[in-house]
Amino acid sequence: MSQPPQIEPPKWPLKFLRFFLRGEFLEEIEGDMEEIFLENLDYHSPAKASRMYTWDTLKLLRPILIRQLHSHNPIITYSMFQHNLTIAFRNFMRYKTSFLINLIGLASGLACFLLIYLWVQDEWKMDKGYDEIDQIYQVMEHVEIPSGIGTASNTAGPMAQGLADDFPEVEIGATARTKSINPNTLSFGDRNVKAKGLYASKDFFSLFSFPLVEGSPDQILQDPSSIVLSESLARRLFGNERDIIGKQVLLQREQPLQVSGIIKDLDRHTSLQFDYVLSFEAWAEENTWVQAWQNRHPQAFVRFQKGTDITAFNEKIYDYLETKAGEEEAHRKVELVPYKSLYLHGRYQNGEQSGGRIEYVWLFSMVAVFILLIACINFMNLSTAKATQRTKEVGIKKSFGVRRESLVFQYMSESILLTLFSLIASVVLVVLLLPQFNHITGKQLELIWDGNLFMVLGGILLFTGLLAGSYPALYLSSLSPITIFRGKLSRSLGELIVRRGLVVLQYALSIVLMVSVWVVYKQIEFTQTQNLGYNRENVILFNKEGKTHDLATARTLMQEFMRLPGVKDASIIGNTMTESDWGTNAIQWPGKDPTDRTGFDVIQVDYGTLEMLEIEMKEGRSFSEDYGSDSAKVIFNEAAIKHMGLENPVGQLVQWGTDYEIIGVAKNFHLESFHDNISPLVFYLDPNAQYMMAKIEGANIQETLSKMEAVYTDINPGFFLDYSFVDDDYAALYVAEQRVSILSRYFAGLAILISCLGLFGLAMFTATKRRKEIGIRKVLGATPFQLIRLLSHEYSRMVGLAILVALPVSYFLAQQWLETFVFRISLQWWYFLGVGVLAMLIAWLTVGLQTANATRINPVECLRDE
Amino acid sequence: MKKTKIGEFEELVLMTVIVLQEEAYGVAIKKELEDRLETGLSVGSIQSALKRMEEKGFLESRFGEATARRGGKRKRIYSATPAGLQVLSQMKDIRTSLWNSMPPFALEFSWI
Repeated sequence: MSQPPQIEPPKWPLKFLRFFLRGEFLEEIEGDMEEIFLENLDYHSPAKASRMYTWDTLKLLRPILIRQLHSHNPIITYSMFQHNLTIAFRNFMRYKTSFLINLIGLASGLACFLLIYLWVQDEWKMDKGYDEIDQIYQVMEHVEIPSGIGTASNTAGPMAQGLADDFPEVEIGATARTKSINPNTLSFGDRNVKAKGLYASKDFFSLFSFPLVEGSPDQILQDPSSIVLSESLARRLFGNERDIIGKQVLLQREQPLQVSGIIKDLDRHTSLQFDYVLSFEAWAEENTWVQAWQNRHPQAFVRFQKGTDITAFNEKIYDYLETKAGEEEAHRKVELVPYKSLYLHGRYQNGEQSGGRIEYVWLFSMVAVFILLIACINFMNLSTAKATQRTKEVGIKKSFGVRRESLVFQYMSESILLTLFSLIASVVLVVLLLPQFNHITGKQLELIWDGNLFMVLGGILLFTGLLAGSYPALYLSSLSPITIFRGKLSRSLGELIVRRGLVVLQYALSIVLMVSVWVVYKQIEFTQTQNLGYNRENVILFNKEGKTHDLATARTLMQEFMRLPGVKDASIIGNTMTESDWGTNAIQWPGKDPTDRTGFDVIQVDYGTLEMLEIEMKEGRSFSEDYGSDSAKVIFNEAAIKHMGLENPVGQLVQWGTDYEIIGVAKNFHLESFHDNISPLVFYLDPNAQYMMAKIEGANIQETLSKMEAVYTDINPGFFLDYSFVDDDYAALYVAEQRVSILSRYFAGLAILISCLGLFGLAMFTATKRRKEIGIRKVLGATPFQLIRLLSHEYSRMVGLAILVALPVSYFLAQQWLETFVFRISLQWWYFLGVGVLAMLIAWLTVGLQTANATRINPVECLRDE
Repeated sequence: MKKTKIGEFEELVLMTVIVLQEEAYGVAIKKELEDRLETGLSVGSIQSALKRMEEKGFLESRFGEATARRGGKRKRIYSATPAGLQVLSQMKDIRTSLWNSMPPFALEFSWI
């Protein structure tokens, strides 16, 4: 009792306590709390005692102690809830059409949203699963070229190790060769398995935490003859055998390797995909050029110590290549980029990150929000329209003294209930559609019922339910019973503008989507039908393996192939025709600017290769055995000649190590996708090149192919003809665009469907409201056509406005997208006109169907009750 | 035990109520239990146990006197009902019979 009486329990917790505690417990518990507070003052400072009081107050929040918020009587709350549910269900049943319109619209919108959510989430997860991923960086090289700065993900062979040796901040450096590696055959005993692999330096597994089944990360790539297998590849090679470590397998049936480790099969969220790993050091031993700083081939990764200032480090190593390789390499600048961000932000323009897959992530996220928005707008619109039919219910309830909050609560719960139904339907839809969606997107998405998903579903339920229910709930509950019963429900101008505005917005969004579909479709069609400058029809491409590396065997194989009926031609080439594998900047010509480092694509060919691909010559001649040896001759494409600025090129000499004579100029053709310009290119004769091609003709391609397979295995025992069609490879260059094309078709279809449902619903509503007017007009002799025109007029104007708003926006978006292509279609005015007319026709059809129905009423029916 | 369950903590509170007799009100119960369990307890945990047991019929209560230290608010004095006493003795019997059925080596384990 020694405390001065002015110290009292803190005010706010006390108020809070009085607010939530059940009335009958208040006196006792408040007293207890105060007694404890005073006692605490004897031992602690007033501040601490107050804190303890507050904390204890919070701990009093228990179900049994807190008051029921809505009503003291739980029975009333319950029965009110039940009453609301009953009313909701009765309304659903009574207005079946609008219920179905709402359900279908919302469910498909939500399903689309969920699918995109799954896809976006999957994209975000890519390459982020490694331990200490925040410390892992990849070396990028910015190379100064005449047209700006080109950025490459491949760098010098010694780069990673050099960084690790020279800088203490770098914990580990690892090199990997991941590109241009063809699938190889691995054999154990008489089992042959074809698999895709990569070469990695000894620290690769210490840097990337791939889970190992056997072996330790720092040991498994130490030995140059070691191979690390994935679990499933090991099973395919060894079956049920145990103690695989140390066993010998043959690579390409010639090179013996010891299995040194087994990794778990890769998670689908890594962009590095491989079945086996070989020692990069051993590969570099054979390919000594890769050990030089001057050459650029593998990828380099480093892991920093925690807390390293990367910005400062990047400044420090900007000229690292110059210090290592001398002044000739001063044009190559080094930057370390977070590995986790490269998957989504992989595109560089003029040395700056300029997007990449992230653009599709944003695009689809926006589409998802658009579609959900359209569906919500629909819902709001229909409920508001329908609400006018329910004003009497509101009037009666209000006269009985129902508070406004309960009305808001009633309409909100009704809309949440409908959203819940739609959500359930949409989840069912998603489960049904996922396999198809995975097929289109090339992913393996699945609906995993974890906390995250429930959070998202709950969030959507509340957001959509509340948003969609807000307008009708607030509007209806605000009406005064007197106006309702007097029947003079003047619709405010604001309400009309809001509702029309919503329809216009919704329809505009659909039109934007429709235009995008059309433009994407046209551009893809353009890439596939445009003459590429060579003939890729029925040309198969395969890799030289085993004995075919020997030129004589390769020639025998070609001859045997050509003896088969249906094989028109066969040849040897150094390039897949769909990407530029190999480039050089070492060609010298008279008048070359010494600082010019433009890369020329290089393609090795054999006699007859150009003829087989039907690449046309602009000047001069192609390689031919009729003129003696053509081994010191080259053929350039037009782009190269233009770049070099040579006049009358045929017969001139260029230096490329030794002298080469230009014997011809080939017409430009597309070696890469339409995103890229046609680069300067040079052909030279080298029948030891990596690939072989054959051209097939006639109707029975499958039969010819199986005969070719037999011939191949005959000549090259132990290997199989593993071919791809060049036109398929070419189509695969646009796989991302193809996906966008297919998906946007679905999305646009959906958006149009939902918008039409909305229009349909509104038209139905107007027709019901104007029944009497229609009746009177019919009596006075209006024809059905006049009536339809009368009723559709309003909608035509709205859709017209939507078209006016949407077309400029879609023009802008389409132009933006097309600019990612160097070779592109030009936008035609009739694309937009066509879409506009189509949108208008769809709207007329929708509204017309509904109004035609409305005009068939018998005037007696609608006029007799007055 | 078949009809109404009693939790471990509730059981402790119930026994404390019986021990404290006429002094069994919120703060006193909390202090007594804190001393015996050697741990801090919140008013909420004690109160919710008391209210739950009152609902189940193991406890009854009446208002006691008000003191100045409580800002003039009355105490609520709790006492056990016959049902409360019965459930306690049932719990004790169950425990005893279980202890007796345990094999002797089990006793050799010390939890401290």
